This record gives sequence, C-alpha cells and structure tokens, in this order.
Amino acid sequence: MRYGPNTATDRNSLKKLLYSRKLAPYLFASPFILTFLIFFLYPTFSTIVMSFQELTGLNNAKFIGLDNYKRLFDVHFYNALKTNTLYTLLSILLLIPIPLLFAVLLNLAFVRGKNFFRAAIFLPALTSVIVAGVSFRLMFGELDTALINSLLIKMGLPPQNWSLNYWTGMMLMVILNLWRHAGINMVYYLAGLQTIPEELYESAEIDGAGPVQKFFTITLPLLKPIMIYTVTVAIFEGYRMFGESYVFWNESMPGDIGLTIVRYIYQQAFQRNDLGFGSAIGITLLVIVLAINLAQLKFFGFFKKDSDS
Amino acid sequence: MMGMKAKRKWAAILIAILFLIVCFIMLFPLYYLFLASFKSSKDLFRYGMDFRINLELMSLDNYRLLFSANNGMYLHWYKNSLLIVILYTAGSLFLSSLVGYALGAYRFRGQNFLFILVLVVMMMPLEILMLPLYKLTVQMRIINTYSGVILPFLVSPIAVFFFRQFVTGLNKEFIDAGRIDGCTEFGIFFRIMAPLMAPAFGAMGILLAMQNWNSLVWPLIVLRTNNMFTLPIGLSSLLTPYGNNYDMLIPGSVLATIPIILFFLFNQRAFISGLTSGGIKG
Amino acid sequence: MRRINILILTMLLVLMAVLSGCTGDGGSTSSTNQPSDSPRETQKSSESSKPAAPVALNLWTFNELHKTYYEKTAELWNQTHPDQPINLTVESYPNAEMHNKLLIALQSGVGAPDVVDINVNFFSNFLKGDIQLVELNDLVAPEKDKFVQSRFDIYSKDGKIYGTPFHVGATVVYYNKEIMDQAGVNPDAIKTWADFIEAGKKVVVATGKPMTAFEVTNQRPFWPMIVQQGSDYLDKNGDVILDNETNIRTLNAMHDMIYKDKIAIPMPGGDTTKEEFFTFMNQGEMGALIMPMWYMSRFLSYMPDLEGKIIVRPMPVWKDGDSRSAGMGGTGTAVTKQSKNQEAAMQFLAFAKLTREANIRIWQELKFDPPRWDVWDAPELQQPDPYFGNEAVFNTLLQMKDEIKSPNMGELITAAQDLVNSSVMFKALKDQSQTPEQALKAAAEELRKQK
Repeated sequence: MRYGPNTATDRNSLKKLLYSRKLAPYLFASPFILTFLIFFLYPTFSTIVMSFQELTGLNNAKFIGLDNYKRLFDVHFYNALKTNTLYTLLSILLLIPIPLLFAVLLNLAFVRGKNFFRAAIFLPALTSVIVAGVSFRLMFGELDTALINSLLIKMGLPPQNWSLNYWTGMMLMVILNLWRHAGINMVYYLAGLQTIPEELYESAEIDGAGPVQKFFTITLPLLKPIMIYTVTVAIFEGYRMFGESYVFWNESMPGDIGLTIVRYIYQQAFQRNDLGFGSAIGITLLVIVLAINLAQLKFFGFFKKDSDS
Repeated sequence: MMGMKAKRKWAAILIAILFLIVCFIMLFPLYYLFLASFKSSKDLFRYGMDFRINLELMSLDNYRLLFSANNGMYLHWYKNSLLIVILYTAGSLFLSSLVGYALGAYRFRGQNFLFILVLVVMMMPLEILMLPLYKLTVQMRIINTYSGVILPFLVSPIAVFFFRQFVTGLNKEFIDAGRIDGCTEFGIFFRIMAPLMAPAFGAMGILLAMQNWNSLVWPLIVLRTNNMFTLPIGLSSLLTPYGNNYDMLIPGSVLATIPIILFFLFNQRAFISGLTSGGIKG
Repeated sequence: MRRINILILTMLLVLMAVLSGCTGDGGSTSSTNQPSDSPRETQKSSESSKPAAPVALNLWTFNELHKTYYEKTAELWNQTHPDQPINLTVESYPNAEMHNKLLIALQSGVGAPDVVDINVNFFSNFLKGDIQLVELNDLVAPEKDKFVQSRFDIYSKDGKIYGTPFHVGATVVYYNKEIMDQAGVNPDAIKTWADFIEAGKKVVVATGKPMTAFEVTNQRPFWPMIVQQGSDYLDKNGDVILDNETNIRTLNAMHDMIYKDKIAIPMPGGDTTKEEFFTFMNQGEMGALIMPMWYMSRFLSYMPDLEGKIIVRPMPVWKDGDSRSAGMGGTGTAVTKQSKNQEAAMQFLAFAKLTREANIRIWQELKFDPPRWDVWDAPELQQPDPYFGNEAVFNTLLQMKDEIKSPNMGELITAAQDLVNSSVMFKALKDQSQTPEQALKAAAEELRKQK
C-alpha cells in the first residue's frame, strides 16, 4: 500500500469515514442537532433571560432578578399545578390500559371488522377539539334536559352541574381527553404489537398458557418500550393541556376549575402583558415536567446500558 | 379442539358487541356535528341538542356558503393546510426516523445526553418561546411562508422518541447481517430496517399529519395574510366575542376532517394491516 | 443502491421545496424584506385614473363582521376620495390569539398592522409602559361632542385617546313580552329594582319561570348594576374599589334575588355565550335578560322563536340619581406606531368610525348601538324592528343618552375582570362557598397585591 495523496486507499478511507459505523449515528442525528441549535437553543436562551426581566415595551426590558420567580408560587399557580397533576393522573389511569385492551382485542386474528372499528375509534382524534367542544358542551349541559343528565335521571341518578363543579369539571376534561386520544394510543400499541413474533405466542400455547398468561408474560414485556413512550407523552401532554379546558371554560374559570398551567401562562404573559412573568412560569413548568419524566424513565430502567427499553 | 372453536366464536361475538358500543360512544358527538352542519344556526339551538334527522331543517346551504364566502377563502385555507401537511409529514417522517434510528440502533457517546435534549425540546412549552422564535423567523425572512411554519418543528421530538422506542424492540441481527453483506449504514437503514419500521412510520405518519393539520398556535404567529392561513386559523376566527359563525364553522370542520381520514385509511392499509410477519421471522 | 439514491433525491426535493418557501398566490410575501405586509388587491377601486398611487393599509380584527364592514368602508372611501386611493387588506383572527400576536408584534417592533381592533378587555395591556399606539385626540376633536363621552374614556390614558369605539354597548333589559303579559306585568311601570323584584314574583307565580338569570362565569349584570350607581371595580385613579359598600350591597341584593326573593337563577350554562343558554332563552324559559345592546345579534341568530316577543327597556335603578344604563364591552380601533402611513390610517379610521354616515352603517351592518348619539333619531335607526316588538329600539336609548356611564379602565382592569368572572360571581351566587362580602373582599385583596 502506498500512502500518497489521491490513492485509492485515501478515497477509500474517506468513504470509510463517511460511511463509518462510528460516525453514522452522529450523521443520522445531525438534523436534530441542527434544528436544535438554530430554532431551539437561541429562543430558549432568550426566554430564560426574559424570565428575569420585566418587559415594558419595545426593546425595553428591565432586569429584575428573581422577582418573577418569587411571586410565581401563589394560590393560582398551585391551583393550576393541582389541576394539571390530577388531570394527568386520571388520564394515565384511563388512557394507558383502555387503549391497550382495545389494541390487543383488535389484534386477535379471529376478530371481524377490525378496520372499521380501528377507524371509528380513531376518528375523534382527527377532529378539532374546539369544534368537538360544541357537542360536548351541549351533551354535558347542566339542565335536566341535557343529554347526559337526562340519561342519568332515567337511570335514577342525580343530574350534575357538569362544568360548574370542580370534580365533575375534572371528569369532563378527562372524558374529553379519553374520547379524543384513546384511538391514538391504540394505534401506537397496535404498531408495537406487530413486532411481536407469532411463534412466541404459539410456543406459549403449546406450553399450555392461557390468554391472560400470554398477555402478561409475552405481550406486556415486549410492549414495554411503547408503553414507556405513551406514559411519557401522557405526562407531558397532561401538564401542557390547554384545549380540553378551553372548550368548557373559555373566558372564565369559576373557582379556577379549568385553570391549567399553560392557560395561566397565556393569562399572565399575554392578557396581562407580562411576558417576563409568563416566561418564568413556563421555565418552571419545563423543570417540573422534565423532573417527573426523568424520574419515571429512570424508574422503568430506561437509562440502563443493557436494557432493551 | 372443538371447545376451542366454540369459545373463539363466543369471544368474537362478545368482542364485536363491545366494540360496537365503544364505536357508538366515539362516533356519537361526531354524528351530531355532522347533522348540525346541515342546519342553519337559527335552528341549531332552538330545540336543544337535536340529533334526530330532520330533513326539512337540513340543507346544503351552509356548504354553499362555505365555498362562496369571502371570495372562496375557505378553499385557500384548505389548500394551504394540505400543502403544509404533506411537506411537513414527508420531511418530518424522514428526518425524525433517522434520528430515532440513530438513538435506538446504535450505542455511541453522548447518546443519553442527546436523548435528554430531545426530551427537553419535547416538553418545552411553545408559548414562552413564541416571542424569540418570532423574531428569529423574521430575521430569517421566512415569516408568512410555508417554511416559517414547517422548519422550526421539522424534526419532531415526539416522533424521534417513538422511533427510538420502536427500533429498540427490533431484532438487531439484521443490522449485523447487513454489515456482513457490505451495506453502508445508510443502506442498512433504507433497505433493511426501514421496512421493518413500517408500523412505526404508519403510526407516526398519522400522528405528525394530525398534529400539523390541527395546529393553530405557531401558524397563527407566522402567517400574516388571509390567503396564507391554514384551516385551523380560518375556522377559529369564526368564533368571536359577539357570536360564533356556526354556519361556516361546523361544515368547515366536517370537511376539514376528510383528508386526514383518508390519510388514515390509506395508512392502515399500507402499513398496519398489510404487514406480514415475514420480515421479522426471516 | 439506486433505490437509496432515488429516495435521497426525493427527500432533497422535498426539503428544497420547503426551503424555497412556497407561498400562496402572488407570492410576493416571501421575498419582501419588510416585515410589514405587501399590498394586495382585495377590492377593485371603482373609479379609474387616480393621480396618486394607492396607499397600502393593513388592518387586523377579531370579528369577521368587522372585516366585512371595513372592506365596504374602503370601497366607499375610494369612491369618495378618488385622489387619495387606499388598498386595504383586512385579516380576521381568533379573539385571544389576535391580541397575543399583536403583543408579540409590538414587543418585537416588527409586523404590526397599520390599524387594529382591540377588544376593550385587553386594551389596557397596550397602554402599559411605552405605548405603541398613536394619539388620536386631534383626529377625534371635531366630532367628539356628538359622542357618548365615556366611550372614549375607556380607550384613553392621561387624557390621551388611543382608540375609537364601535358601539356604546348600553345595557338594557330585554323583556319577553309574552311572559310579561301572562303575568300581568307592564315593563314600562318597572322603574326601580324593587319594582323589578315585585314584577318577578308575579311572573314566578303566574308562569313558574324565573324572571331573570345572572351570569356566574361572567360578570353581567353585576358590573352594569354597580356602574349605574357610580361605583366600579376601579376608581378614576385605577385604585381598587371592588369591595366597597355599594358593590357589597348590590351583590347581596343579587344573591337575595336568587335565594330569598326567588325571582332569579344562576344562568344555565354559566353565561350568555353558551349554547345551552340560547336554547333556554329561546324556549321562553325566562322573563327578562339584562345585557348590552350588542347582544341583539345573538337573539337574531340563535333565538328565532322569540321573534316579535322581545322589547327593549332601560335598566331599573336602585335609587334616584342612578343612571339607567352602563356601556359594556367594546372594541377600540387604534393606529399603531409601526405604521408607515399613519396619516392615511388615521384618515381612514375617522372615515370608518367617526362620521355620521359611518355610525348609521354601524347599526345597519353590525347591529351595534353606534356611539354617536346624534344618529339615534335618524330615520334609519328609527325604523321599527319586527323582532324587537316592532318598536324603534333607539327611542329607549335616546331617553338615556346623557346617563350612560362606562367603567373605569385602569391597569388592573383585566385582572379585576378575571377575578370577578372566575371567583366572585361563582362563589357568591352559585356554590355559595363565600358570602358576597367575603368574595368581594378576597378578590379586592388579591388585586391590591398586584403591581
């Protein structure tokens, strides 16, 4: 081999470099790195700086240190935090198992009408939440003649003041969320289920495993990566929730019923023209959600080197 | 074996009944909206929530109004949304899958750190970034363009996350086999792994398309002229403090769901239901 | 290998398409260097050959009815001012989002329109710190005395006017005549709230229906009721008076009307924008509604069964000396300092909002009560309205023209309204978790703590 310039070897090494196994992941990940640097890093830095300021007008920003953060933790923030946390917990309780059940059932070979059911359950996800809200507001009206209330009465149960009570209001948001997102999670699980080889089930059957056993010993563990995904997404979407609350309480929130953190940000940043304060709230929200999710991920062994999740 | 078959049959029937009920619940609010799209706003609330099919009150007037109002602006909104969603979904699927694949199929330095960055981007509330991001898009001269709407979010962290998860569940032997065969890393990605990732492409394709189709906040900040608006902007401007224009809003929204429904149906056939387990076994 | 190349090529094409910034028709927008908008022809100028080039004006609004109104105004302008043609483009955005976008544009110094409609609820936001709106005092001065004065005050600060009103928003009582007749009540005889309560009792006895309903997720009629007495949430200096005697007394009276006199109920649906309420009112479940004049369009749009049955009358008073109405809501149209054609924008604004003809059009096209009282007896506004009892509704307004007060719009007004909407009304009138006094005091305390 000669080591001069422009030899075949050099071209080969260049090629080897570009196509190298070591470099490949970095190359593949470069789109993210690029957009991160351009569209994310600078704005985030700007926002963090804003959170220490009071913006009083064009190019007029007064540095006020930690003042925004100090007055952040008031009753409205805690209310918003409480609302989001409850909403997230309730949503996870419903939005993980129910779509999973649907996905497993629909995946069974002997079930008919799969395509239709899948499409029908998914359809709500495709609608705009604002427009679906018209339906829901009417269905869950507080008069006795409203749809759900009249059904409740027929069943002998008391009608509810749906959007005017904290707990029923919370249920309203969770129901709307479930209605819209059950189909999406189901599709995720279905995608995951496709990767589980048939033979595993077959050999388990031969070993005498029943459907429930098969589910817990094969399906569930192999779906773990997808489930971690849905839980993570549910957590941060829960804390970022805006639409489900806006639909029922769009201009005012009696007793802070529908006050979520993002609405609080809008209220403070834009409606009170205090972008600095809004930034502080947002940064705090980011830290909270990140902390929760990192904890959750660590708990499920996400970061272990040899894990397959 | 006969007991098994009978059990299966019963199970199938029960499951079908369950799903019929579920579908009814899922579709009912949409059914109401569909009916309402044919009624004039005068009649919408006259009798409360009316889900009977009342042919005298129903007509195509709303739909006619939709296409003629405002110099047919609805069609512009539709076109903009369609173009943006196609460009975005195609670009994002490609780029996000690439990144997700990198994170899921390889072990490399900085992997976890990179992933945490992805998480951070995912969880950052857009609302607080709006002002600096707006200034940036103005400086880059992409305000009021499709690029301005698409570029900042082209690599979708949610999709990256999902692809990563999906890829970790795949059998890595194929990668090794590819290398032995002399494929480049890109080649392995395109020819071997990508087909295996078909269900993920299906799921993420739908998700990205859907999110983009319904997205309101950022396009509203970037787009400045009426004929550039997307459907969500146009439709939600029909909600005003002095009364909502249900006559256009409801049929407008009903029609707006059609492309995305079609995409979903196409998606199902192409990726999810059509997949044989051949690729995995072999 | 070939397949990969094709794929890469396609993706590159896609990316190139994206990066080339496919814009809409006549895509001059992506290549402009200025962030302010490029001119677009939205209407054909009727008369030809003007000496000057058309001035491009851009307007933002949050109500598409306003959009139609402005576009027609631009046509009329071009017809009557052929030597000063303008090219008006109007964008209509959703309410809250438009104000967000405006704030961002003004804060960043880039991208604001020439003229903009600002909802009164958000107006005080734009009067903080460095005001980015143009002073309109000189523009308004020639016609100012023909307007209901308080409608300028709500868009002013330190004596400088920054916005022009669209309507008075005079709060009136809409009586369902059918129900009143059934109960033997003559609405014209109702002069005080005490009369109203008496009448209410008759209505309940005769028909089993409540006389009226109070919003619990919004602030009507509480706010008009205190403003008519000269009280408010904030005083003229912007200080908090939300928990003063008058307000507590009024809220107590409202509470009693629901729970003691039993002539009122918490509004079904919570407030007057909810679909549930439209059905309720339309089916004649309530005797009277206390709302501003601009609510008329909701009656016309969603409550067809009440046609001919609704009559408009002034608010009753608490005591002598109270006014019989208060102006609620509003849209202030302003000119931004970022406008490169401030003079033209101001002239257009005057043409659109300040002239006699404009105010007549405001009634005809928007069904708003125009803020120039000297058009209220114009023939166009004196026509009997078949929906509203076949009466000339503006006669009601003419009686009250000097009495109509508007609230004080200090810096804390957005926060004050939020608190009233989200806790005070609800807690005091709906779930009764606080007495009116407690609710008002708690809200006032919180307000005082804000900067």
